[in-house]
Amino acid sequence: MNDEYEVVIGLETHAELSTESKIYCSCKNKFGIEVNTEVCPICMALPGTLPTLNERVVDYAIKMGHALNCKINRVCKQDRKNYFYPDLPKAYQISQSDIPLCENGYVDILVNGESKRIGITRIHIEEDAGKLLHATSFEGSSLVDLNRCGVPLIEIVSEPDMRSSAEAKAYLETLKSILSYLDICDCKMQEGSIRCDVNVSVHKKGTPFGTRTEMKNVNSFSAAVRGIEYEQKRQIAALEAGETVVQETRRWDDAQGVSVSMRTKEDAHDYRYFPEPDLLTISVDEKRVEELKAQIPELPTQKILRYVQKLGLPQQDATIIAENVDLANFFDECTQKGGASPKLAANWLLGDISKYLNETGKTLGETKLTPEKMTELIGYIEKNTISTASGKKIFEIIVVEDKPIKQLIDDMGLAQVSDTLELEALADKVLAENEPSVTSYKNGKTNALGYLVGQCMKASKGKANPGMMKEIILKKLGE
Amino acid sequence: MDIDIRHIAKLSRLKISDDEFAKFENEMKGIVDMVNTLPQLGEDLAIDENNVMQLRKDIAETGKFTRDELFQNAPQVKAGCLVVPKTVE
Amino acid sequence: MEFYEMTAVQLSRKLESKEISSCELTQAVIDRIKSVDDKVKAYLTVNAEEALEQAKAVDNKRISGEKLPKLAGIPIGIKDNISTKGIKTTCASKMLEDYVPPFDATVIEKIKANDMVLLGKLNMDEFAMGSSTENSYFNVTHNPFDLDKVPGGSSGGSAAAVSAREAIVALGSDTGGSIRQPSANCGVVGLKPTYGSVSRYGLVAFASSLDQIGPIGKSVKDVAMVQDIICGRDKMDATSAIREYTGIADSLTGDVSGVKIGIPKEYFGEAIDDDVKTAVMNAVHELEKAGAKVCEISLPSAKYALPAYYIISSAEASSNLARFDGVRYGYRAKDYTDLVDMYEKTRSEGFGSEVKRRIMLGTFVLSSGYYDAYYKQAKLMQRKIAGEYKAAFNEVDVIATPTAPFTACKIGQNIDDPLKMYACDICTVTVNIAGLPAVSLPCGMDRSNMPVGLQLIGDSFCEDKILGAAYAYEKLVGGFAAPAL
Repeated sequence: MNDEYEVVIGLETHAELSTESKIYCSCKNKFGIEVNTEVCPICMALPGTLPTLNERVVDYAIKMGHALNCKINRVCKQDRKNYFYPDLPKAYQISQSDIPLCENGYVDILVNGESKRIGITRIHIEEDAGKLLHATSFEGSSLVDLNRCGVPLIEIVSEPDMRSSAEAKAYLETLKSILSYLDICDCKMQEGSIRCDVNVSVHKKGTPFGTRTEMKNVNSFSAAVRGIEYEQKRQIAALEAGETVVQETRRWDDAQGVSVSMRTKEDAHDYRYFPEPDLLTISVDEKRVEELKAQIPELPTQKILRYVQKLGLPQQDATIIAENVDLANFFDECTQKGGASPKLAANWLLGDISKYLNETGKTLGETKLTPEKMTELIGYIEKNTISTASGKKIFEIIVVEDKPIKQLIDDMGLAQVSDTLELEALADKVLAENEPSVTSYKNGKTNALGYLVGQCMKASKGKANPGMMKEIILKKLGE
Repeated sequence: MDIDIRHIAKLSRLKISDDEFAKFENEMKGIVDMVNTLPQLGEDLAIDENNVMQLRKDIAETGKFTRDELFQNAPQVKAGCLVVPKTVE
Repeated sequence: MEFYEMTAVQLSRKLESKEISSCELTQAVIDRIKSVDDKVKAYLTVNAEEALEQAKAVDNKRISGEKLPKLAGIPIGIKDNISTKGIKTTCASKMLEDYVPPFDATVIEKIKANDMVLLGKLNMDEFAMGSSTENSYFNVTHNPFDLDKVPGGSSGGSAAAVSAREAIVALGSDTGGSIRQPSANCGVVGLKPTYGSVSRYGLVAFASSLDQIGPIGKSVKDVAMVQDIICGRDKMDATSAIREYTGIADSLTGDVSGVKIGIPKEYFGEAIDDDVKTAVMNAVHELEKAGAKVCEISLPSAKYALPAYYIISSAEASSNLARFDGVRYGYRAKDYTDLVDMYEKTRSEGFGSEVKRRIMLGTFVLSSGYYDAYYKQAKLMQRKIAGEYKAAFNEVDVIATPTAPFTACKIGQNIDDPLKMYACDICTVTVNIAGLPAVSLPCGMDRSNMPVGLQLIGDSFCEDKILGAAYAYEKLVGGFAAPAL
């Protein structure tokens, strides 16, 4: 990239809310079902039908507003955005124009260990459209599936505060983890639960912002990165060639790795917004707004800081745990309620637990593991009741079966012998049986120590506490 | 008051044929002149705080209508879907 | 007196005392339709077989000793923009010529729950846009008082059917006068209820913030009885008011003493025919003689209601009617090259001229650069007008005006002049703009012997007051004249 230039990025992110019912009717809000089976007269816009606004959609949007430090417009309204398209049955989308439910907020993101504040212009509620199915076998036709019509969305609009694709990616990752923390979105990228439009412009440093383009059809965070990088190069090349950047909507073609101008759909930009006359004023009482604020949990950025500053985790470990709400909650339960060592708990989560989840494709909730059990297991290892190696054996069992750990230790005979007298007796026996090794150690061959400790462990059938065993042998050899 | 009939028709997804255009334009001008008698009262249309609605509880109700019932009036249906001329994504 | 000539009040008693059966009554009305509807053409669909089955079922319930609602067994006609499950609901448009809703409007559910008999669907101006019912795609309805004249509109079929005794009562819808103006033209009683008192769920929307379903009948009490069963909060309609309703029909006493009636001078200007003014003022004097207190009031912004109405209603209509795109239901053009061509041909062929004009006007006033000058100003004017009415109702109980500036016009007289047609609404649109209730009732005849309508306007949810005054007038004049057919 040409260093003289700076890229300016703003994002419009759509997140589907995980409510029971749709935003304006009682159809189930469900993904992946047979075409046109969660449809009713309202969401297919039969003549005479009317919308009724789902209370939970308002609650969820306000929660996101709180999480992003927004001003909540507890008195607001909905507006119609008019345009014709076969996936939009009413030929208008019920959305919000001049008075969004939330506005003027910010979110802190972490890029390369540095914190950066990104402004949030607004968050508003609206309905999703249906889906168009295309195939060559349809012979000049497209098919319409209305299941997604009326799925509730929040649109989160950022300020043009990002200056690199890495920042945009960090911003999107942060939004995603906040949405999962609030438990208001499934965050399944492959199902399109989070989608974004990307606004990009470039300008020479120290000069005013350039003309921006809007890029649609960006379906993953990595696609956003590729799209931004492509668009930034394209714009700089245009400027360098003495051309101008045209303000337009472009479509990101991720397969080809290019953005293509969407031939300005004729008249498409006159949406003729006006207040939705089928819905009255939305008024959420102040008490409710405060209640929702009280329900906001500690969010990932705060968690990362706490893990690093108070618990002494490395930044990278802290970030991985904090950005995954399941891992973070598990970690907090282990360390706060159970009092497990943060270092050990983090090692387990990022080591064996993550490995198991990756291999099996399961989520933490789908395993038999609980924070209580994990804390107990870590406790046994910390107190030297069992060895780390034995701990791993027990982990393999308790991750798939609900069995008491204490009993497993007993049944498998994994308890370490930490009784000094017993270990001393064992040492005496082993040293007596291995005179040659004792002699060679005393002659300076220190590696004989390992052999002797190993013999002790063997004689104890692995139950001896290896640390203690080593110390006792050393002591006896020195006598 | 000039009203761009062709542009407005396009936005409305209506075709005004050449024969009826002059008559239509004339009628529309008359109507626009009539609505132009409305005085300008101000800039700020504040939200009506007293006209508040009750929100719906988030409870899913399903299975009241079959797809066949809902699509009984549809001009063209194929494989459980509505059929439209090919849209270009 | 034939059964079909009687009021719902009279028939209700006869049905309850088993003097007549609902089958007999329903058959009598169907026979009446057969004998006069060739001339009047009020019905688009007659639901004869199902109506008789329904009547039979109601009779059986009554025979079994079940306690039935007051209007049980009484046949009712429905304007064809109110969704009826399994019965075509066309809005008198080519666009919906074959459309059969899979659900009932909330008012239809209420009508059925009250065991009323659903006779059929009534003609109207296409999508309720018009004041003469000449904008129906199917046929023109004729005024029973003079078959060469229009019945008014848009609920012309509903008013004409009741007037011609082809239905005991009927439902219409009123966005700018569509219940009251045809009721005035056809010499019947029509109530436009307070916005939000009757659910709009299932009413094919014209202008969402102004539309309201209401009853039409031969007598004030008939209208009150129907209003009593169709009103009420509906969870399916977010604009429906959250409140309780007490029955109006039983509260009607005929006593008008001490009721304060305001006469707004703005409604008696040049645009109003002299015969109409005279008939309306005569009616006011009758009420005054019976003890009402009459005073002049002023509603200075009333003259701006018409432009405000056409801006707001057309803006909403342009959006409400965008769903008719040939994809999910309704008409679709036969030949088209692509999606946009399909949309444009479907809509141009499926909608009539008046609908297209309103869609165009609505699109224009909402389009980029014009919203602030039109839509916003119209909404501000709406608030101003509502405020003037509020102030007036601090002084008076009821406001009396003509319903329409003139009596029914000749068929074809205004069809080519939209602005003249719009002028029919000058007395009625303010009421919709302000969201108020108003009733139109017959108050005599003009020089050509056509009925004149008196409009009584009340404060929000004060249907009891306007119907009370209307009922008093009806008693004073001994009822309303029927047309000779």
